[in-house]
Amino acid sequence: MISLENVSKRYGSKEIIHNVSFNVNKGEIVGFLGPNGAGKTTTMRMIAGFTAATSGKVMIAGHDMADQNYEAAKKIGYLPEHPPLYDVLTVRSYLKFCAEAKHIAKAKIPSELDRVMQACQLDAVVNREIFKLSKGYRQRVGLAQAILGDPEVLLLDEPTAGLDPGQIQETREVIRSFGENHAVLLSTHILPEVTLICKRIAIINDGRILAVDSPESLQSAVAQSNKVTITVIAEKDELKKTLLAIDGVTDAEISEPSQSNGVVKAVCHVVAEGRIESKIAKEIATRFELLGLEKEQPNLENVFLRYVGKN
Amino acid sequence: MSGVSAIYKKELANYFNAPIAYFIIAVFLLGTGYFFIYNMFMTGSASLEITLQNMGILLITVVPAITMRLFSSEYSGKTIELLMTLPIRPWEIVVGKFLGAASIFLLMTLATAINLIPLFLYGNPDLLATISGYLGFVLLGLACIAIGELFSSLTQNQIIAALLTWPVLLGFWFVGHFKVFQQTGFLRSFSDYLSFTGHYANFIQGLVRSESIVFFLATIAVALILNTSYLKGRR
Repeated sequence: MISLENVSKRYGSKEIIHNVSFNVNKGEIVGFLGPNGAGKTTTMRMIAGFTAATSGKVMIAGHDMADQNYEAAKKIGYLPEHPPLYDVLTVRSYLKFCAEAKHIAKAKIPSELDRVMQACQLDAVVNREIFKLSKGYRQRVGLAQAILGDPEVLLLDEPTAGLDPGQIQETREVIRSFGENHAVLLSTHILPEVTLICKRIAIINDGRILAVDSPESLQSAVAQSNKVTITVIAEKDELKKTLLAIDGVTDAEISEPSQSNGVVKAVCHVVAEGRIESKIAKEIATRFELLGLEKEQPNLENVFLRYVGKN
Repeated sequence: MSGVSAIYKKELANYFNAPIAYFIIAVFLLGTGYFFIYNMFMTGSASLEITLQNMGILLITVVPAITMRLFSSEYSGKTIELLMTLPIRPWEIVVGKFLGAASIFLLMTLATAINLIPLFLYGNPDLLATISGYLGFVLLGLACIAIGELFSSLTQNQIIAALLTWPVLLGFWFVGHFKVFQQTGFLRSFSDYLSFTGHYANFIQGLVRSESIVFFLATIAVALILNTSYLKGRR
């Protein structure tokens, strides 16, 4: 649905996007991650057709953005970073304008407006002028505009910015259900959001795509400094000796035993290797009373920081 | 064409949901009313000739206030990103906006027709000259709007858009005066040809010349085409 092939963007002599290639298929939500100034918005704008790529090819549902801009625009719903709203219009008249501009048949406009206003929970503010709306509502009017006309491709530049936790959850639900049979590219700063709703992640930094993969594979790819934490009833020194004897455990930090029941917590530093936790469990359980074991996974934040080179 | 109509309706809604349109129309009508009464009592003749002349210069001061927001406000409000990514062609945006501003202007012009009631009631003015004068006024207004729209597309600051439009319109208004300084016949007739005043004066005198009609229409077309290419180039 969305495909970028070696896309670059240059402003004057400065190239800010370098040879970006990735694609988003139908029925897929792809998260677009990167720090501020990494080139997310510029890339989004090139896909949406607001700015043209200096070189490379942007294809939307089989239309080349370079010369079939108009045809491609019919397939796209786009929510820019700042929701593009006309403050003096009411929510309804704004959405009506967008519906007409998107060539939605006149007879279908009222039902289409009702559909998006319901999906984005705008019923309470339908006839209010946009300048009177709170940030959360403005964001949702922008989203309603993007999903008007059921476009095949949805581009969302930080759609949950400015929403409260309840609204964030509802908006995610809208995006998730939309992503079931459309192609969605979602740029965001909020990492848990990506893990929750995206099938794949594209990480961009400094105008370059660093990785495109599923959240799980990205996590396991950087799983190098894993830690296994065990809760056990044991004598401290003996436990340490046992742990360090296990192949794969490089170090162990053991807490002071609890006064009441003698429970200790041990954090084992292990090499990245499959099933190390079961090896530890087996060894410890035969000699002591094992109460719990937990393997620490690198979260997406670590993955992200690793890729953008800050860790 | 549906793009033009969507943009057009949005422009009208934008004008009338904010106080600017009412304010501009009020200022223009106040000025026109003043000139009309003053001229009637000064000359004592039932003719719109001088009033139309005054309305022309008044129009030139008012038009930038109508057109300055056309594109500038889209840039500063970031809504240009919406317009340029909706399935609307750049020319449709330009024409839709032009028609929106033109409607405000035509409404304004229509309202000045109230002056015609006492004129025809108590006097015996030349009907054809009045009609051709108004035709000239409308063409002049549309040309000014097209120029104002073009300058509005060059900056995101509405004030700068207006400040760019004024001198250009005044230049077109006064360029005819330069002909007395020109040595060559070509330059003399060229500055005469570019002059809004010269063409407009023909209409006021009841002279509908195809050359003048073509001049105003060509000015509109050139401004709108330049505007469209500028929008395309922004990509």
